[in-house]
Formats: sequence, C-alpha cells, structure tokens
Amino acid sequence: MGKEKSNGDKYLFDLAVFLATSASGCVEEPHLYGPFRLIDALSRLIELPKYATCMKDDLFLAKMKSVIDEKKFLLVSDTEAFKAFLDSLVREFAKELKRRSLERR
Amino acid sequence: MDVFEAIKDRRSVRKYKPEPVPEDLVKKILEAAVWAPSGSNIQPWKFIVIKDKKVLDMVRKISPGYFGDAPLAILVCSDKERAYKLGGELGRDYLTVAGCAVAVQNMLLAAYASGLGTCIVKSFSSIAIKHILEIPDGIEPELLVIVGYPDQSPKPPRRRPLQEITYLDRYGEKYFEK
Repeated sequence: MGKEKSNGDKYLFDLAVFLATSASGCVEEPHLYGPFRLIDALSRLIELPKYATCMKDDLFLAKMKSVIDEKKFLLVSDTEAFKAFLDSLVREFAKELKRRSLERR
Repeated sequence: MDVFEAIKDRRSVRKYKPEPVPEDLVKKILEAAVWAPSGSNIQPWKFIVIKDKKVLDMVRKISPGYFGDAPLAILVCSDKERAYKLGGELGRDYLTVAGCAVAVQNMLLAAYASGLGTCIVKSFSSIAIKHILEIPDGIEPELLVIVGYPDQSPKPPRRRPLQEITYLDRYGEKYFEK
C-alpha cells in the first residue's frame, strides 16, 4: 500500500505539472492545442486506478484511452479528422453516460 | 545519403527505443547545426545537451509537446545579447529565431542520415526549463530537439502542392500551370 501511495502521489504530481504547464502554454499556442492537451490529460487521468485501490478499473474508460492514444495525433496530420474524432469521443461518452444513468434507476 | 532523400523521408518521431545515442553522432548533429547560415553571421545559437535521465524526466514533464521516452534531448537556445550587439533589434527579435530554426533543420537532417529519429518540441514552458537547466538571462530557449533511435515510422502529413503556393514574378501569377 505504501509503494502504491507513493507511486500515486508521484503520478498525481506529474499530472498536475502537465496541466499547469499546458495551461500556461495554451495562452499563445494554436487554438487546437487546447483540446489536444485536454484529451491528453484525459488519457493520463484514466490511468489513476492503477495507483488507487479505492478506484475500480473501468473498461469503457480503458477503451476510450486506447482510442485517444491512437487518434490524438490527427491534430498534426488532419485537423478536420481531429475535430471529427473529438465529436465522436463526446458521442461515445454521451452514450455511456446515458446507459449508466438509466442503469441506476 | 542524398540530402533530398533525408529532406523527404525525415519524420517527427514520437516513440523511441531505449538505446543511447553514441557520442560521435551527438557531435555530428551539433556540427551540422553550426554550419547553418544566420543573419549577419550572428550564429546566435547555444546548445544544452540533456542526457541525464532525471533531468530528461523533469524536462519532459514541463513540456506538454514532448512525447516518447527518448534517451537524448538538445535544447537550442538563442543568445539575445550577442544578437543585439551584432544585429540590433532585428538581430535580437527575428534573426535569433530564424537562425535557430535553420540550425535545427540541419540537426534533423544530420540525425536522420545517421539512422536517428527526432522531433522538434516548441510546447515547453520557458519559465520552467530555464529554472531546471539554470539558463541565465539573455539566453532564450527556442526549440527542444528530441533524439533517439526511432521505434515507429510515422506516415507523412500531406504537403500543399507546389501549384497552390508558387508564383512567377508577382503574387497570383501561377508558376506551375498544372
């Protein structure tokens, strides 16, 4: 538990550094860098259950991470495809959100 | 290797093997850099070769645009004071940036010709990197070049055709008919 917590603390700190640095950088970077940094951060956030036993692995999120990591670099090769990918990501989350909400009733 | 082959086949690599970059290749890359042209021959560049794993790790963490676990990074800085002395405001504000960019392109081509992959990173925090690498005032980090043996072969993004972007004698007069 001790090693896991210290690894989790380190992971959280590294993520915090990434977010703070991204926030500062996005002030002057091209506007699509903002969404790019957000989904990159999302991909990293999804790893959190590795470090915290109180959190369960989430198959849906694991799948989303895999899709994000595969498609995020569309930003540099095809900005229209990148925007379409972001929209499709939101659609997937919306479907899953609705499914989980209905399950809870 | 023919230089045109290096120009066309070089890619921005974001996944690397752990093998270190041999010292002779590091020197070759830096020598290529300093043979770049620069306005007023200012040669505004200064280089910080980052090999220590802990330092690399810190630099990666404050560089949101740094992907992959390359064994080497070279920070290309511009000497603003030198540039101002030799080239005034134009030297300091423009020729430094242009000069470092041209030097970096030489680095990328030299690395590619040596079997290495590279990626230019501009998305780093200047404030943070200056603190971590103890860079004094007057020296400005311009571009970070990640170097290593590539573990991927990315496809190239499409290039705008020459027909769209080239003109003859005046803007708007197409150079290439088709």
